[in-house]
Amino acid sequence: MNPSPASPPPAHPSGRPAPPPVLPVASPLVSPAASALPPSAAAPLAAYAGAVAACVATALMATPLIGVVDLANIVMLFLLVVVLVALSLGRGPAVLAAFLSVALFDFLFVPPRFSLAVVDAQYLITFAVMLAVALLIGQLTARLRLEAEETARRETQTRALYDMARELSGAVDAAQVQAVAGRFVRNALDASLTLLLPDAAGHLHPVDAGSDGSDGSGGSDGSDGGKAAGPATRKGVHIPAVHADAVFASGQAMMFVADQDGFAPAMLFPLSAPQRVCGVMVVSAASAERVLPAARRPLLEAVASLAAIVVERLDSVAAVQHAQFGIESERLRSSLLSAVSHDLRTPLTVLVGLADSLAVGKPPLPPAQAETAAAIREQALRMSGLVHNLLDMARLQAGKVCLRREWQPFEEVVGSALSGLEAGLHGRCVRIELPADLPLLEFDAVLIERVLHNLLENAAKYAPDGEISIGARVLPEVVEIAVCDAGPGLPPGGEERLFSLFERGRHEGGTDGAGLGLAICRAIVEAHGGAIRAEPHAGGGACFRFTLPRGTPPAFDAPPGEA
Amino acid sequence: MDAGREEDFPGPLRHPRVEAAPCVALVEDEFQIRRFVRAALEDAHFRVEEAATAAAGLALVAAARPALVLLDLGLPDGDGVALIGNLRGWSAVPIIVLSARAAEAEKIAALDAGADDYLTKPFGIGELLARVRAQLRRPAPERGEAQCRFGDVCVDRAQRTVERAGAPVHLTPIEYRLLCLLLANAGKVLTHRQLLREVWGAGQGENSHYLRIYVGHLRQKLEADAARPRHILTETGVGYRFRF
Repeated sequence: MNPSPASPPPAHPSGRPAPPPVLPVASPLVSPAASALPPSAAAPLAAYAGAVAACVATALMATPLIGVVDLANIVMLFLLVVVLVALSLGRGPAVLAAFLSVALFDFLFVPPRFSLAVVDAQYLITFAVMLAVALLIGQLTARLRLEAEETARRETQTRALYDMARELSGAVDAAQVQAVAGRFVRNALDASLTLLLPDAAGHLHPVDAGSDGSDGSGGSDGSDGGKAAGPATRKGVHIPAVHADAVFASGQAMMFVADQDGFAPAMLFPLSAPQRVCGVMVVSAASAERVLPAARRPLLEAVASLAAIVVERLDSVAAVQHAQFGIESERLRSSLLSAVSHDLRTPLTVLVGLADSLAVGKPPLPPAQAETAAAIREQALRMSGLVHNLLDMARLQAGKVCLRREWQPFEEVVGSALSGLEAGLHGRCVRIELPADLPLLEFDAVLIERVLHNLLENAAKYAPDGEISIGARVLPEVVEIAVCDAGPGLPPGGEERLFSLFERGRHEGGTDGAGLGLAICRAIVEAHGGAIRAEPHAGGGACFRFTLPRGTPPAFDAPPGEA
Repeated sequence: MDAGREEDFPGPLRHPRVEAAPCVALVEDEFQIRRFVRAALEDAHFRVEEAATAAAGLALVAAARPALVLLDLGLPDGDGVALIGNLRGWSAVPIIVLSARAAEAEKIAALDAGADDYLTKPFGIGELLARVRAQLRRPAPERGEAQCRFGDVCVDRAQRTVERAGAPVHLTPIEYRLLCLLLANAGKVLTHRQLLREVWGAGQGENSHYLRIYVGHLRQKLEADAARPRHILTETGVGYRFRF
């Protein structure tokens, strides 16, 4: 539906409250009765009494004129009274006045007087014409009056809407929007208003009235017991969350009747902004006895659309601020990371170099000092590895790792991982079993080499002897790479935990590492769209398996003569 | 790490006369790094000239005509890569850059600009000396010999034949071109882009997987274990390097 609610409420041709608009019926709670209007006939009895009085007074005033003026002129007097009654008292009294005038005219003026009997048949025509003219004039006059009233009311409303729009444009948060729109609805309809806005997950929550709460909701009722049982509980009107969600999802307005618990009726409007539905506006009557006139729906739609525009503006302002904050913090993070990495690397480079100079200097150091120099060097290198791991993890966790993915044979990265780890493997035998038909894979070679490096280093560290193997399997969607060892295996049940930060296989002092290695592996593999897991190796030991998606490798067309 | 010290390299070690010692220009802003690099190089009978900034480095290379330049990429006053570009405009002096780990883009930029090799911080003295010597040993391109051997492979570039353990090996034209390029730049790191440009011509940046596939073929034909190459080495994320 999504009416263009910014347009002024359409005029009702009849000047009467419009027939109930057809509303989407979403639940048993909604019934046509909800939109039934309080009849305009509810005009107070006083108006009818006034009509009667006017007619009687006319009759009394006209009585002395009998014989002085023609009866036809007395008819005119009665018609004038009907016009006046219609103008001042409305349509119903005018109809009453029309009939009463005819009756009084017949009774008091047409011979035989003081009897409803008519001697001369031609007076029947007079009565008929008089009644018809009186009814017609009364009708037209009453309509004129209603239209004038309606116009005046609309003008007031438009001015109020305009004032509200101006106030809304200065709103800086949703609570102010709710307060301003709430004040307008209270003045115009004696109803209360609640905005339901979605959170990040898309669940609707009432706006926290905050500091403006007293301004926006005070006074209209005393039933605000501060209860917050449901997400949309407010002022005794309970709107089941599903209905608010339905309005939010469909963008269609919805009306409610009082339910069996006697809660007041309410209307729900989507906050339809140009881009999307950004919330739901709930308007509920101030008390259970009152209903909201369906005729005011266009007005409320206008309120909803004004509120929607402001809420959307607030949302986009928040989004821009958030983005700017993100950019700022990212800039800060990356400059911090590079500063830290530079500042840590330089002294470590110096440490390694100076320890080396001690070891190779002349004359050669005594064995004890040579050992010390070697230990300094080794520890500095280890520290450098830790720093590297920490910085990598910081970058990976920031989620801002830019993968330099290229299609390449996996074999190459196995070779470079092994050659980079020669010292760490302590001459261990590594068996490589890669199938000949391994397809090209798209990955960041530096990062995947790091995964292999960490897995191989772990295998060498935790399985001090036995063979280490690197294998691969081609599966339908992915290629699975496995690094297996023949060590003591994994702690049962803790396989998944191994990949958490700072988790180590066993709490022992003999092997080092801050437990970052596997967490980095997982971050890298997941950044590639793969998965990594650990499992016991058939025949003892542990197996770490990770997958890389196969994707669609680029074409490889050997030029002529390159077969 | 100690390979450089244990191997008996020809060159400076056999000619300890100081005046004949090759000069190494060291452009590095950290005093302590300059200190241990200088000590290590002087112990190995190199002459060392130092500069702490890019500007001073440029002046130093122009004045001292060093046999090799060690250049830190993180200089305070400017871009090491720009310095390399400037040097390459008028000098073919071997350049080894000192660079951070996980800074592949920086390394590639330096190599593409004309650097010959890189050392990743932190580095040991053995590694440093091995890289320096390898660069100084590299034959100038015009002195390349027709025949060269590595492992059990013999390449005769005059005859355009390749033999492995005495048996002829068939290489496709692209494989042969790639092999010759690697041999001619032995010891130097060639970036993927440099190799693609030389073998396939310009505009092949999108097809880097071709290069990797052909390198794989070469390894299968010429290496004892293609998964653990001894000669055609991978510089992960950067390129390849041929080692005799």
